[in-house]
Formats: sequence, C-alpha cells, structure tokens
Amino acid sequence: MSGGPRRRRTWSAFGDVRRMPSDYEVMTHDANWTLRPNRKAAFEQNPSSPANLWFHTYRDASPLRVAEWNKYRDPDQLVYRTYVTMQSDAETRLAGVLEEYAAAGATEALSPAWVRTLATVFTPTRFPLHALQQIEAYVGHLAPTSYITTAAAFSTADLLRRVTAVAYRTRELELTRPGSGAGQQERQIWETEPGWQGVRRLVETALVAYDWGEAHTALNLVILPTLDAVLLDGFRELARDNGDELTWLLLGNLAEDARRRDRWAGEVAAFAVRERPENADVLRRWIDRWSPRADDAVAELATLLETLPDRPCPGGELLGAARAARQQLLDGAGL
Amino acid sequence: MTLLKREEWQHLVRDVDWTYSYVDDEAVYPEWLSGTGKVPRAAWRTWEEDYKVSYPEYVSTQREKETAAYAVKAALQRSNAFDELSEGWKSSTKMHYGGVALVEFEAVLGELKMARFGLNPAWRNMAAFGALDEIRHAQITMFFGHEFVGRDPQYDWTQKMFHTNDWVAISLRSLFDSMMVTNNVVDLAIQLPLTFETGFTNLQFVALSADALESGDVNFANMISSIQTDEARHAQQGGPTLEILVEHDPVRAQWVIDKAFWGSARAFAALTGPAMDYYTPVEHRKQSYREFMEEWIIDQFIRTIEDYGLRRPWFWDEFMKGLDTWHHALHMGLWFWRPTIWWRPTAAVTKADREWLQEKYPNWEAVYGDKWDVIIDAVNAGNVEATLPETLPWLCSLCHLPCCNATLGRDGRWRVRDHSLTHNGVTYHFCTNGCRQIWWKDKDTLNSPTVIDRFLAGEIQPMDVGGILNYMGLTPDVMGDDPDYAWAAEYRDRVTTTPLQVAGGAQA
Repeated sequence: MSGGPRRRRTWSAFGDVRRMPSDYEVMTHDANWTLRPNRKAAFEQNPSSPANLWFHTYRDASPLRVAEWNKYRDPDQLVYRTYVTMQSDAETRLAGVLEEYAAAGATEALSPAWVRTLATVFTPTRFPLHALQQIEAYVGHLAPTSYITTAAAFSTADLLRRVTAVAYRTRELELTRPGSGAGQQERQIWETEPGWQGVRRLVETALVAYDWGEAHTALNLVILPTLDAVLLDGFRELARDNGDELTWLLLGNLAEDARRRDRWAGEVAAFAVRERPENADVLRRWIDRWSPRADDAVAELATLLETLPDRPCPGGELLGAARAARQQLLDGAGL
Repeated sequence: MTLLKREEWQHLVRDVDWTYSYVDDEAVYPEWLSGTGKVPRAAWRTWEEDYKVSYPEYVSTQREKETAAYAVKAALQRSNAFDELSEGWKSSTKMHYGGVALVEFEAVLGELKMARFGLNPAWRNMAAFGALDEIRHAQITMFFGHEFVGRDPQYDWTQKMFHTNDWVAISLRSLFDSMMVTNNVVDLAIQLPLTFETGFTNLQFVALSADALESGDVNFANMISSIQTDEARHAQQGGPTLEILVEHDPVRAQWVIDKAFWGSARAFAALTGPAMDYYTPVEHRKQSYREFMEEWIIDQFIRTIEDYGLRRPWFWDEFMKGLDTWHHALHMGLWFWRPTIWWRPTAAVTKADREWLQEKYPNWEAVYGDKWDVIIDAVNAGNVEATLPETLPWLCSLCHLPCCNATLGRDGRWRVRDHSLTHNGVTYHFCTNGCRQIWWKDKDTLNSPTVIDRFLAGEIQPMDVGGILNYMGLTPDVMGDDPDYAWAAEYRDRVTTTPLQVAGGAQA
C-alpha cells in the first residue's frame, strides 16, 4: 500500500483549497448523499418511486436553481455545539427573568385589559408557531444542500423553543389569572376570532406550498418576517407601554432567534441571486404571491391590538412596520 | 419562588393541532408521506412518549455532553495514541466513519420528515429534537474522522464514501434511503428509531465502544458512547407509533418491522461482523459477533415485539442460521475484493484466530477453512496476484451484497445457493430467501440495478477491473489492501494441497 501522492489537509470534496476550511465547513459540507452528482435519482431505488418523484419535482426541478448549492454558507456558521451552547445560555437568561418576575408578582399586577390582550393575541400564537415549525422542518428536509438543512433544523428547534416559552407563560397566566381564558380558550380563539383568521388562512395554505424554494420564500422571507414584526417586535413594545416588562424581556430574548433566522434565510436568497441573477424573478414571483396574503393577515390581526389594550397601537402603524421589516430583509438580499 | 415544573405546562406545547378550514387535512398530511393507512386519523391523538423532554432541558443536557466529548478529544489530540493503534482496529474505524457519518445526516432528513408529517404534535416535537441529535452525530463523526485525513487518505472517505458508486455505498444507500426517508412517517418511526436504533445501533455503538477501549482507542470510544447516549431519547418515537399501528393494522406492523430488521441484519453482518470477529485483534475481542447479537439484539428484539403482540419474523430460522455464516462469508468477500473498499482489511486467520473462530463457530473450519488455506498457500508462494479479483461477485438484487451465503444441504455439504425469481421476463438473483421475499413485495419501489446489472448493461467502461474501480470512485491512495500479509507466515510449513478448481465461485 502506497502512502499516496501528497498529504491531504482536508476533505477532497473541497477541491484544491488554499485556505483551511473552518470547523463549520468540515462538519457540514456536502453531507446529503441524495444530492450527489451524476445520480439517476435522489434515492437508490426505482426512479419513479413516490419519493424520487417528489424530490425531483419539488427540490431538483424547483425554479430556484443554482449550479452549486454547496457554496452557500450560513453567515453565523452555526454547528451543533455552538447552537446548544448559545441556546442553553439564552434559556438560562430567560429562566432568570421568569423567576424574578414571578417572585415580584408581575403577572398579578397586570391590568385586566392587558391580560385579555395576552390571552387573545399572545397565548394563541402557539398554534401558528407550531405550523410554522412544521414548515421550517420541511424546508430543511428538502433543502438542496446540507448547509441549508442544518440552518433550517436549528430554526425548527428555535420555533419549538418559542412555542415552549409561550406555553410556559400561558400556564403561568392560567394559574395566576384564572378566568382570563389563558390555557383554556386558545384553540377556540385561534379558530374563530376574526382577527386571527387571516393568519390562519396564511399558515394553512403555506403548509401545502411544497416546492422547497417557495416554502422557504413564503416562510422565511415573507410570513415569519411579517408576523414577527407584529408578534415579536410590535407586541413587545406594546407590552412595555402597558406595564408588562416581563413580556417585553421574553420577546426580546426570542427575537434573537428570529434575527439569526433572518440572516441565514436572507443569505439563501442573496446567494441564489448572486449565483444566478434569473433567480431574482423567481423569488420575486413568490414574494408577490405571499406578501399580500401576509399583509392582509397582519391587517386583521392589528385590529385586535388597536382595540384590546388600555394603551393600544394604531393598526396602520403595525402594518407599516411589518412591511418595512420584510422589505429590509429583502433589500439585504438585493430583492 | 421557583419556576413551574415541566409537568405543569408541557401539555400546552403539544396541544397545537386544530381543524383546518382553508386546506384539506389530506393535503397537509398526504397518505404516502404520513401513512395513516387503516388507522383512523383520530387514533393518533393518543400518541404519547414515555420520557418527556423540554427545550430548556434538551439544550442544557446536550451542552454538557458536547463539552465533555470535545474536551476528551482535545486532551487526546496531543498524545500519539493514534500511531500505536493496530491497522486492524484503525480499519474498523475507517469503515465506521465512511459507513456511518453520512447515514447520520440522512437520519436528519428522516427526523425532519417526521417533524413535518408526523400525525401528532408531540411526535413532531420529539422529531425536532431528533433532527438536532442526528446533526450532532453527523457533525461529531465528520469532525473526528477529519482529524486523521492528513495521516491517512482512507479517512477522506468519511465524507466521500456515500457520494461514490462503490458497491458498499449502493448497498447502504439502498437500505437507508428506504428505511429513513422514502417510507411514510409511520413506517419510518417504527423502522428507524425502534427497529434500527433501539435494536441495531447498540451493536455498532456498544460493542464497538468496548472493542475500542480494549484496542486502546479512547478517542473513538469517547465519540461513539457519547452518541449512543442520545439514542434513547429520540428512539422513543417508535414505541407509541407501533402501539397505535398494532391496534389497527397488526399485519402491516409486523411487516414493517420484519423488513427493517432483515435489512439491518444484512448490513451489520457486512460491517460490524468483520470488525468484531476479525479486525479487532483476537486478544482484544470481548464477545463474538454471534454472542453479541444473541445477548444484545435478539433477546431484546424478541421481547420488544412480543410486548407489542407481534410474532417472530417469518425469516427467523434463516436469520439465526445466518449468524454462523453471513459475516464470515462477507469478511472473506471484503478481503478478496479489497481494492474496492476504503480500509485495509486484515485477513485475521492466524492459528490463534482460527482457534478462536472454531470455538465460537463450530462449523467455521468446515465451511471457510479450506478457502482460506488456498489463499494462504498462494500468499506463501509469493503469488498474491492469485488472491486478487479479476471479476465481480454476483450481487443480491435487494441488499446489493455479494451472494455468498453457504447453507448446509441434506447431503451434509455446504453450498452457496442461488435464490432467484423471474419477473416481467427478467431473472433476479438474491443472496437469501429473505431478500427475495422483501424484493417481491416492494419491487415497484425498490427495484434498482446492482453494480453487476450496471456493468452488464455497459454503463461501466472500460469493462475491466480498472473501469470498475474507477466507476466506484476508488483512487490508488485509498484502495484497500491487506496491511502486511504477515498472518500467513506461520503456515509456511503447511503441506499445501492442490487447490481444486474455484472458478466461478463454485464449491471446491
């Protein structure tokens, strides 16, 4: 056995690299064998099996195409180890806040109108957030490179984190403010409250957007940035205006996850356009399809924040902020 | 004031299903993806896992594990432990890295599929954690394997193996694609977490970890035992899923388990069997592959399926008999076709090895001894050429492994028998009845040409060993060879027998 021609420094898959790849790249690069070159089909089975047809139709033949998706990088270069370390710190901070405010009796001190606002607008969010978590998992499942799958899987877990935090607060409200409906009426509110129906229509239809590029665009470039502008950022300020510092801090903590998602998701779009300028039209078509639906949803949702709290927020302001936040993300991607 | 306990609020994290108004349930959970089958949709509402975990608990526990695993690695990095490992053991690790790293990544895709299409929110949440776990396993395996790339190019196949058309890659892709991603999520939850992870990964991870420590490879033992601690959590998706399926469709439940068990058993016979019974130096072997299978896999598997009211698989006798033959034949095949693999398989048939093998497998000498003697004589005659392949072995149309299993006939002779069937005018060959049966039932989906089929169809050019190796992605610096042939030396004084004809793989 010969020792080989020349000493390798890293995976041969990187080609002739001058720079040593980062740990992130070593651990993430080209790990999805269903994307190997010269394949007859994604899976080692009959090319016309249902799974092969699905992956062909919704991934490999997606209108969003680039020559080499493995050149994409998550700007945060997250790997598992850094993810759990970072999120464990974030959870420690969050637990500290929850504990401190509980000890101070913060929930007991909230005004009835604000408690009603929380029970109508905040606690029901676990329903849409869970559906968005499902869509994020789908984006990861079908993504055209392991770099995107990994980033989407972390964001899937982030959404589970968010549902978890909402559930915790919901239970706390239920115990502290019985009769508020918290912990009891969310599903009914989510299914019947007119202010929520636009959002519900939005996430239900997004669940069946199966082209991976459209799923990513609808979820990460339109729906989440638009909804987050209201449910994270807008609601956060509103909470503070209404004397609820705990919610302000809680949502501020969760917003970090959303900002990180904006970074990797925006970079997917920016990368796709850089690599193949025609992708701008592809993305634009999907953005134009989903943005009006998202705007309608936010407009309906804003009516609740205009009417429920003691110190409400003008609906037009929320809608404007949501559009601006979305556009900022799209601007960053050159769209 | 303390925080509310998990039990106080976790029901809300999983109470997130509602009745859709703007889309059909069937569009959100298509049958081929979600696979409810004969199970009424409402039955999935009772899905519940035994051991619950919340997000804050998850990240806190996992952070500690990660810190510990990488700290051990960092501490060992400065030692020269690697250089002192035997090539036999190193080859076990090369096989593991190449054969496992990207399987872990494919499991990410499987978990994400369940996180999207699972039929109960608690299941989907558990799968979201499962996806994180599998990212961990893929990343840690790639990272640990990468460390050795500079010392030995065969470790490059940690990342590369599954991107090639090596026959091992085709065999394992065929198995894992159908077990982890292309099946519906009900079957997936039963096949991957329950049958494969609670069953077979024990074998690779517990057994190999013990052998690693014996062989002085603390680094590798550290990695795989840390990985194994995650399995119990996400493997839980199988139990509750199986419980519901058994209640409504026991026939399907039995079939999906049987199929996954069989496929796993074939793959592990090819990979773990040789690593345990040959590559690990004889003085370091804790248990034989058969003993380990009996103690860790078979008893537990039978107990598990009987607990759910299921029966032993239809292939049980064939499988049990195969414990004495499959991996020995595959070891010989791996050794003989060694230029097609990315490690250096030691033959490991010294007198001491053979004594051990004969004690553990009383038919070993009768079935394999004379074949190895032919090889030994060739090596000692300085004719290594004669021990190298000039053709390909016939591969099974289901498991894509060589058809090489000897069985004992009524005439008292061991023979490799052909199991074939003809469908639409084409005759397919299989290594076993089990493979033939599964292929027949799943032929519309699984039917995929073996390397031999591709060769005969002219897809591989030039049609010689060089062309085949090139098709498989093997480069000269990676092709396997015996580390030193030193094991043959002690037979130098052996009275050589005239080898009977062995052409065509027929019985000598």
